[in-house]
Amino acid sequence: MKELLTAKKLAVRTALALGILAGVMLVCSLIGTESVSLKAVFSTDTQKAVNPDYEIFVRVRLPRIVLAALVGAALASAGVVFQAILRNPLADPYILGISSGAGLGATIVVVSGLSWTLWGHSPIAVFAFVGALGTVLLVWFISRLTGKFHITGLLLAGVVVNAFFSSVIMFLTSVVKSQKVYATIFWLMGNMTEEGFLVLWLAAGCIVGGISALFYIGPQLNALSFTDDDARSMGVNPAKTRIIAFAAAAFITAIAVSLSGLIGFVGLVVPHSVRLIFGPDHRQSIPLSAIAGAIFLVIADTVARLIVAPAQLPVGVVTAIVGGPFFLILLVRCSKKVGWLK
Amino acid sequence: MNGIIEVENLRFGYLPHSEILKDISFKVKRGTFLAIAGPNGAGKTTLLNLLCGALVPQSGLIRIDSMPTESYGTEALAKKMAVVRQEFIPVFAFSVSETVLMARIPYYNSIGFEAEADKKIVSEALEATDTAQFAARTLANLSAGERQRVFIARALAQDTPILLLDEPTSFLDLKHQVGIYDLLKKMQQEYGKTIVAVTHDINLTIQYADEALLLGADSNYHIGKTNDVFSPQQIEKVFGVRTFTGKVGQENFFLPLGKFAKDNQIITRKPPSNQ
Repeated sequence: MKELLTAKKLAVRTALALGILAGVMLVCSLIGTESVSLKAVFSTDTQKAVNPDYEIFVRVRLPRIVLAALVGAALASAGVVFQAILRNPLADPYILGISSGAGLGATIVVVSGLSWTLWGHSPIAVFAFVGALGTVLLVWFISRLTGKFHITGLLLAGVVVNAFFSSVIMFLTSVVKSQKVYATIFWLMGNMTEEGFLVLWLAAGCIVGGISALFYIGPQLNALSFTDDDARSMGVNPAKTRIIAFAAAAFITAIAVSLSGLIGFVGLVVPHSVRLIFGPDHRQSIPLSAIAGAIFLVIADTVARLIVAPAQLPVGVVTAIVGGPFFLILLVRCSKKVGWLK
Repeated sequence: MNGIIEVENLRFGYLPHSEILKDISFKVKRGTFLAIAGPNGAGKTTLLNLLCGALVPQSGLIRIDSMPTESYGTEALAKKMAVVRQEFIPVFAFSVSETVLMARIPYYNSIGFEAEADKKIVSEALEATDTAQFAARTLANLSAGERQRVFIARALAQDTPILLLDEPTSFLDLKHQVGIYDLLKKMQQEYGKTIVAVTHDINLTIQYADEALLLGADSNYHIGKTNDVFSPQQIEKVFGVRTFTGKVGQENFFLPLGKFAKDNQIITRKPPSNQ
C-alpha cells in the first residue's frame, strides 16, 4: 500500500516535471544557428531601434518551441488514452485514421494549388484539421455499424480507412508536378514552423483543455482497463467514458497534426516510457506523459534545427531516430514492470 | 416481507424467438446466501448479468432494494452490489492494491483520489482474502487462484450490501475453495450481506448456501431451500447424469458417475431413487 499513488505524490512529480520542461524550453530557445543570450534579450539598450536578440527570441524561437511543447503534450497524452480505450499497447494517436485524414486534407490543398489564405495563413492547417476529425468520425460510425462496441471492429475500420486514404494521397501526389510532391512529403514527415501568437494561444487553450478532460476521467480509464462489465460493476459507465476519452483525444490529436504535420513515435514511445517508470495508473500517466511528450518534442525539434544547420530536418525524422533506441533501452531495463510482455 | 432482490416474470434471450430465461420469478431476502446452479447454457451467467444491470430484460422486472434496476445510475448500482466475474488480465500492469483500490471509484473525491477511509477498507479486504502478502505484485504475476481472490477482495472493498459472484471457486485448489466459501459465509453472517453465487460445485454449495436456484436447460427452474432443490431426482434430471448420493452429516453429497467410472457398478446396484 506504501507505493500507491497519492494526490500529493502526483502534485510533486507534476511540478518537478513542469520545472524540467521550463528549463529545457529555456535552454533550447537560446541555442540555434544564431546564439542568443538572455542578457541581450532583456537588455534595455535604447541606442538601437531594434534589439535583434529580442526579436529572434520572442518572434522566432519562442513560438516554435511553445508549439513543439504543445504538439508533444497532445500526441503523448492522446497516445496514453488510445492505448487505454483500445486496450492495446500498440495503439498510437494515428491508429484510427487521423494521420491519413489530415494528410489527405493537406495534400488536397497543395495539389489543387489553393491560393487563398485565412488570416494570412495557408489553409493547409484548416483542411488537415477537418480531414482528421472527419476521418475519425467516419471510422467511429463504421465501427458502430459492426455492432455494439467492438474494439476489433474499430481497429479494423481505422486500419482500412488509413490504408485507403494513404493510397488516395499516393495517387494524388503521383499525378501532380514534382515541386508539389516535395511540399506534400515535407508536410507528411512532420515539422515545426513559427506560428503566430493567436494560433498558439488558441491551440494552447484547446490542448490544455483536452488534456484536463482526459486527466479528469483518469480513474474511469483505470477501471476500463478491465472488461466493460467489470468497469460497470465498479460504477463506471464504459460507453460514456469511452466517448469522452475518444472525443478529447481525437480533438487534441487533430489540432496537433494540423499544426505540425505527421510527427510519429511521440504518441507511442512517451506513454510506454512513462508507464515503464511510473506504472499504469492513468491519473498519473496522462499528465506525466503530456509533460514528457512536450520535453521530448522540444528537444527533438532543437536537434532538427541544429543538426544540418542552416538547413532543417523534419522533426518526425528525429523523433524516430532518437526515440527508437531510447525506448529500446528502457524496454530492456524496465521490462519486468510491464505486464504485456508476458 | 420484501426481498432485497425481487425478480418478476423475467424473460430474456440473446436472439429473437429463442428465450434462455422464460418467465422466472423469485425473491432473495436480505442476508440470504443464494446459489444459482444448472447445466452449461441454462442461463446462470445471463441471469447474473441481468441482476447487475449489464443486460436489460426483454420483459419482466428486477428490483434491487424495492427499486427497479433501470432506475439506478451506474454509480448508484455499484454502491448496492459488487460483482466478481470470471477473471480478466488487463494489458497494463496494475498491481494488486491498485486493482482493489478501483473498487472505491464511486467514492473518490472531486480530483479523483481516494480518502484514508477508502485505503482502510481496501487493506481490510486484502487481509480478509489473504492477498495482502502480494499486494505490490502485478496481476499477471499471480496464479489464477490468487487473482481470483484479488477480484473477490475488490468486490469486498466496494462494501456493498449485495455480492454477486460468477463461479468464484473455479480456479481454486481445495483449501482456497473452502477458504472462499468460509469468507462468503462470514460476510453473510457478520455483516448481513446478501450473497448470490453462480456455481458448479453443488457439494460445497449445499454446505454453505441457504437457498438454491436450479436452472434447467429446458427453461424450467426450481427455487427453495438447498436440500429441497438439490434432491437426487432433481439433480439427475436437470444435469442428465447418474449420481451417487451419500450423506456427510446433515447434508447430502452427490458424485456423478459416468459409464466408465470405476464405481459405476455401485449405482446400478444402488440407484439414488432407492435411498
